Amino acid sequence: MAIEVKIPTILRTYTDGAKSVDAKGDTLSALIDDIDGSHPGLKGRLITDDGALHRFVNIYVNDEDVRFTGSLDTELKDGDVVTVLPAVAGG
Amino acid sequence: MTRYDSLLEAFGDTPLVGLPRLSPRWDGANPVRLWAKLEDRNPTGSIKDRAAMAMVRAAEAEGRLTPGCTILEPTSGNTGISLAMVAKLRGYGLVCVMPENTSIERRQLLEMFGARIISSPAAGGSNQAVATAKQIAQQNPDWVMLYQYGNPANAQAHYEGTGPELLRDLPTLTHFVAGLGTTGTLMGAGRFLREKAPDVQNIAAEPRYGELDYGLRNIDEGFVPELYDDSVLTSRFSVTSYDALRRTRELIENEGIFAGVSTGAILHAALAVADRIAAKDPATRADIAFVVADGGWKYLSTGAYSGSLQQAAERLEGQLWA
Repeated sequence: MAIEVKIPTILRTYTDGAKSVDAKGDTLSALIDDIDGSHPGLKGRLITDDGALHRFVNIYVNDEDVRFTGSLDTELKDGDVVTVLPAVAGG
Repeated sequence: MTRYDSLLEAFGDTPLVGLPRLSPRWDGANPVRLWAKLEDRNPTGSIKDRAAMAMVRAAEAEGRLTPGCTILEPTSGNTGISLAMVAKLRGYGLVCVMPENTSIERRQLLEMFGARIISSPAAGGSNQAVATAKQIAQQNPDWVMLYQYGNPANAQAHYEGTGPELLRDLPTLTHFVAGLGTTGTLMGAGRFLREKAPDVQNIAAEPRYGELDYGLRNIDEGFVPELYDDSVLTSRFSVTSYDALRRTRELIENEGIFAGVSTGAILHAALAVADRIAAKDPATRADIAFVVADGGWKYLSTGAYSGSLQQAAERLEGQLWA
């Protein structure tokens, strides 16, 4: 089972420039561990030393912000699309 | 009473209208209904009139703003237009720092109201406008930056206006859906609703732009508005230009409401919630109110309302539409 993970421009240095990568995992946490195996260093940009999501990183599963769906424990299923975006100003 | 001494008194108290065609279940014992709060009925045509009025009044009360002062504000458009009107009537100058990738209508309106526009680069979007405005504020210490992203009066306007109006007009409200930019609408109205009707869910819709607008040099340059407190929200959706446009057009076709593109994004989130409830349980009722942030007039030049959806979404790529 593969889940598409969309990577923002600013983090593509870790994916050899790829806009998206495929990864596996039943939860967001497992998915990020899987990505870090194939693209070392990426996890450190998404998650802080104390294991929380970086303040200026937003992750969406099928367009819904994971901070409201269980954060790193958010469950994933085949065909989900995970989007990583930096937090920027709107309005 | 619909008579006012000045345009500055004639804002808020906007209509809440039902959407019988777009709602999953309008009739029956357990309806799942959508309601649109028409904030385009404010003096300059957007919900931002509420925040602009409140921020100016608060700054006047604190003595920060005195006649002849110049106001400085980073804005992608609507707040600037609201402030320009208020500034004109109250005797202030206005300098707006605006990303260069915003619609021509916004610029023309600002110029017509007498505001000065300083363009910030498209790369970096509103983030860059905020950073540029902060630099300019340092160089011009006598200018007053109201700073909508961190000004409590912005949220307070919705705590005192938008929130109470919603509950007054729709006591059976179960969900409130609004756009997330400065976060003022959701923080203010959302807090009010949490206090008075604790079961109400506050749902945010934020725009997902093209890559250009996320052009930070590193993650630590990211930005979260000082007003933002995620404990006020129940869920938060990121909506693409394509989905926002699709819903904007559905709103015209089905309900006759001509709204701006950000309203399409808000409707997209509202429908996601409504469809989820309607599909799950025929015995659950819901009254979902969402914000029509502005009308479509300021976006005609973007091509959002003509040609195929795909073409329109491509034309909108790289532009700020919320």
